[in-house]
Amino acid sequence: MSNFIFQALNGISSAMFLWLIAAGLTVAFGVCGILNVAHGSLYMVGAYFAFTFFQMLGINFWLSIILALIGVGIIGFLMERFFFRRIYNQPIEFQLILTFAFILIFDNLTKIVWGTMLIIPNMPHFFQGAVSVVGRPFPIYNLFIIFAGIAVGVFLWAILNKTWWGKKLKAAASDRDMANAIGINIPILFTMAFIFAALLAALGGALSTPIRVCDSGVGGAVIIPAFVVTVIGGLGSLRGAFVGALIIGVVSSICTLYLPFIELFVLYLIMAVVLIIRPQGIFGEKR
Amino acid sequence: MKKMTKILILSFFGIFFVFSTAYASGLPKVIKIGGQGILSGSKADYGHQMIMGAQLAVQEINNSGGILGRKVEMKFMDSELKPSVATKNARYLVKEWGANFLFGIDSSGVSMALAPIMPELDRILIVCHGATHKLNEQLIYKKGFRNTFRISVPTYQDGILPALVFKDRSDIKTIASLAAAYSYGYDSWDMFEKTLKKYRPDIKVVAKTEAPFLHMDFTPQLNALMAAKPNLILATPWGGEGLMMLRQAIYLGLFKQPWFKVWFQCMGGSIDMAEGLTPDVKAGNFHGKLWATARYLWNWPSTPRNKAFVAKFREKFGRFPNYSAANVYTAIYAFKKAVEKTKSLDTQKLIKALEGMKVQAPDGERWIRPVDHQACYTVPAGRYVYDKSVCPNAYLSDLVIIPWQKYFRNPPDYQLP
Repeated sequence: MSNFIFQALNGISSAMFLWLIAAGLTVAFGVCGILNVAHGSLYMVGAYFAFTFFQMLGINFWLSIILALIGVGIIGFLMERFFFRRIYNQPIEFQLILTFAFILIFDNLTKIVWGTMLIIPNMPHFFQGAVSVVGRPFPIYNLFIIFAGIAVGVFLWAILNKTWWGKKLKAAASDRDMANAIGINIPILFTMAFIFAALLAALGGALSTPIRVCDSGVGGAVIIPAFVVTVIGGLGSLRGAFVGALIIGVVSSICTLYLPFIELFVLYLIMAVVLIIRPQGIFGEKR
Repeated sequence: MKKMTKILILSFFGIFFVFSTAYASGLPKVIKIGGQGILSGSKADYGHQMIMGAQLAVQEINNSGGILGRKVEMKFMDSELKPSVATKNARYLVKEWGANFLFGIDSSGVSMALAPIMPELDRILIVCHGATHKLNEQLIYKKGFRNTFRISVPTYQDGILPALVFKDRSDIKTIASLAAAYSYGYDSWDMFEKTLKKYRPDIKVVAKTEAPFLHMDFTPQLNALMAAKPNLILATPWGGEGLMMLRQAIYLGLFKQPWFKVWFQCMGGSIDMAEGLTPDVKAGNFHGKLWATARYLWNWPSTPRNKAFVAKFREKFGRFPNYSAANVYTAIYAFKKAVEKTKSLDTQKLIKALEGMKVQAPDGERWIRPVDHQACYTVPAGRYVYDKSVCPNAYLSDLVIIPWQKYFRNPPDYQLP
């Protein structure tokens, strides 16, 4: 039983990374209607920025994360303002082509700027070590990631439900034309929403650097499970993204313990079953 | 007048000899060699080391007069570890760029994809890293794709050698795997398990885990392994993934467990891993339990030839040579030797020349076994240590040297040793 509990905890830790990426993907899709396959690239750039500030320039870990968020936020602004704004009303194929082009651009830019070597910074000293969980050492950093993921979830819930800006976002997501008609500045709101989505991706990337490899191809690698999560949870649903991430993270982790040779298969099986029974995802709405 | 006639006749024959040799052999003015390896992602250092090894060989060869007087020109491409990309690269290098010889290849899957198209391209390919035994045993030996050779050790190094190294350790009674979820990982574990059980039927396999390519979070796999409490773990994820996996194992406290005795990292002796592992080896985080091997070690054998190679490499690139560099370097010299022997770029003649060739590598002589085109040579296994008076990086010490004849499978029957 202790193995099960420990493995489930590992799964929750993995799920939080998925959640951070999937949350941004969900915000971009839910509010702006953009299916941003380059979202993983923003995760990657966030990781590279955090690595540069923390490991290469020796800046404080927390400040490095904030600077990485600012950097990716600026990139998100430029992407939305000069590219995505032009395709909001275009068919989804245009979005896919444009966002896929961004994957290639970011992959090559990171190769040019940071080279092709992988990056693995040192663990900040205050996160080194482990705490005992069911009699076994559980890394402090993984525990921190769980709390960070939950904190982001609570923050998002509060923003969307308890602030005027959040209500405007929900209004715009629900009916863009009506929101525009009652005086909400949709272009600015969409820009803000896209930047917010980019920040979530960057946060995931920045927090991943001490324990995960980052390289110029990682954006494409992280986006696939994030899409699985959003499809299971329901496209555009933050609650769905959170639950989907937990399902994928924990099931994957438990399968590694008990059914290691079908771990990957199980993830896609879950997605297939959800799509058959509830095509809009667990918390998605029929469109 | 007689003297003048003599000079004219001699000059005529001299010119005729020079031109006829060149014409008959069909040698171009420049010999082009095309390489490919992984140049992007978490394993990119392997490709970059290949480029360094190739640059060093090409520079040396050109400075000493080229191959039969012809300068050597090199082009290197990113295979992305994808068979489709590598196939496209190979076609481009031969058909468009005009490569006379191909080398490199980091992946087993890529080597298996390229071997069947080499007869069509009518070129020699020397694989310098991709390790699956299926290349030499099945494609070359059984199916007869004889344009392909391999200058580096196959999975015998990753599976059979560690079994022989640890078969007499009485404190190892349970074993487990953390396999890269593709041919290389499965083959290495299969050979390890079978060989070890042959000598030690009492050994129990208590867990098997695997991780797909480009995996990032190994904690579920490591936790599953720790739950089974194996005395030895054989791991095959390599490059950046391997580095991350080992760091995560440290954070989970695996190396502190009294029941845990050995982590064998199959290609862990590579330079990118040594550089990345240095802080943890220095801090004693592996508790002396991290073992590895490679496809060449910069610190073995301690011969003038190897020392000179390492010194030249460090002087030119400021780093220690990885096995991918040493193997590419050796492959280019093997090709040079074959061309000089045949005085030709004719593929069939070069195949004949390479079969059975003894080529001098930095670490000594390698014999290219004629039946399966596999280079045969010894690489030790060792334990990771840190001693800055020896090397600024962590390195393999306590080397266990087992001659290749003891752990290479032997065609035509390919029985385990």
